[in-house]
Amino acid sequence: MRLSVAAAISHGRVYRRLGLSPQSRLDLLRNLVTALVRHERIETPWARADEMRGYAERLIDYAKRGDTDERAMRMADFWLTEKDLIHKLFKVLAPRFQPHPGSYTRLLQIPSRDGLDRAKMAVIELKGNPLPPLVRPRRDSDRTLLNQLLKGYRQDARRAAAP
Amino acid sequence: DGKPPKFQPPPKPVIIDRKTQKEERRFLSPEFIPPRGRTDPLKYYIERKDMIQRRKVFNIPEFYVGHVLAVTTADPYASDKSNRFVGICIQRGGKGLGATFVLRNVIEDQGVEICYELYSPRIQAIEVLKLEKRLDENLMYLRDALPEYSTFDVNMKPVSRMDHEEIPVNKLQVRMKPKPWSKRWERPKYNIKGIKFELPEHKMKAAQKWSQPWLEFDLLREYDTSKIEEKIRKELREELEK
Repeated sequence: MRLSVAAAISHGRVYRRLGLSPQSRLDLLRNLVTALVRHERIETPWARADEMRGYAERLIDYAKRGDTDERAMRMADFWLTEKDLIHKLFKVLAPRFQPHPGSYTRLLQIPSRDGLDRAKMAVIELKGNPLPPLVRPRRDSDRTLLNQLLKGYRQDARRAAAP
Repeated sequence: DGKPPKFQPPPKPVIIDRKTQKEERRFLSPEFIPPRGRTDPLKYYIERKDMIQRRKVFNIPEFYVGHVLAVTTADPYASDKSNRFVGICIQRGGKGLGATFVLRNVIEDQGVEICYELYSPRIQAIEVLKLEKRLDENLMYLRDALPEYSTFDVNMKPVSRMDHEEIPVNKLQVRMKPKPWSKRWERPKYNIKGIKFELPEHKMKAAQKWSQPWLEFDLLREYDTSKIEEKIRKELREELEK
């Protein structure tokens, strides 16, 4: 009786099992979404961040409908446990993301947690946040062949234009 | 003054185009809407082409759950090779070419339910006898309701209806046979509005223990079909006009 392999198969299931029960899973994600809206960048286990990403983006889509919409207000009221963040969601985040059609969050992996569990951690942030950027875009090194050729071309062009 | 007043032309007539208004409220049969999943949309596209082909040859009328229909199918063992069944539509299931609808009637004190496939070539005619929507999308609870709510006269005459009127909703609350029922219809998972529950208060309260109020707020479970429906409506309109 091979119980172990069959127990690990989950054909086509999209929702991870977090917490103690489905209600507990939603409460966990709700706390994370509230924290994300408050601090705009949080560090959590990767699985929770991945689950939370979809909910956060759909919440912002609801917020884009405007605060006069009854359903949008009910959703924001449920998902944000701290009620001052409802104002921030509708007045700050919705206009910020109005020009973009989708993907309002960025998920990046971090070195594993220091404690005993060595959990796979991730940082999830809302795009356009006022904090310093996580990833500094680096220019290609000057030592590559293409960059050396381009540098030579630029020097020749300057010499031809100068005299 | 002495001069006659300047000629005022009559105001232009306001033309209300009823045809364009009707098209905005057009009915899209639920089997056209593809379900949420990872299947290739090509499969649904090919199925839709075949469904449109069948609809060009055979008229499938617009109907909802709660309508009373009469279906004539081809039957090789009947004397005049066809078989007519009248019943109330209790559920519409399936997507694509396998779309089905279940008709229920009580004939000689025996409840009969027949599940027909909409696009089966054996179906020769579908007539809508009575148009009325009910409060629920699924009337399976009629199995546990008193038989008078499922009996319909086999020789019923079709009730006439104007084209532009809204389909009326029958707010009938059905009375049930005593428990046990085939399913526990009082539980909030079925969300039935069309039953007059005569159960004691404590039983109704105990049923609410199974309610999952967080499900309504679960954002990822919602399936927004408005854009998909627009595309399919446009496709249908183009194909059926050819």
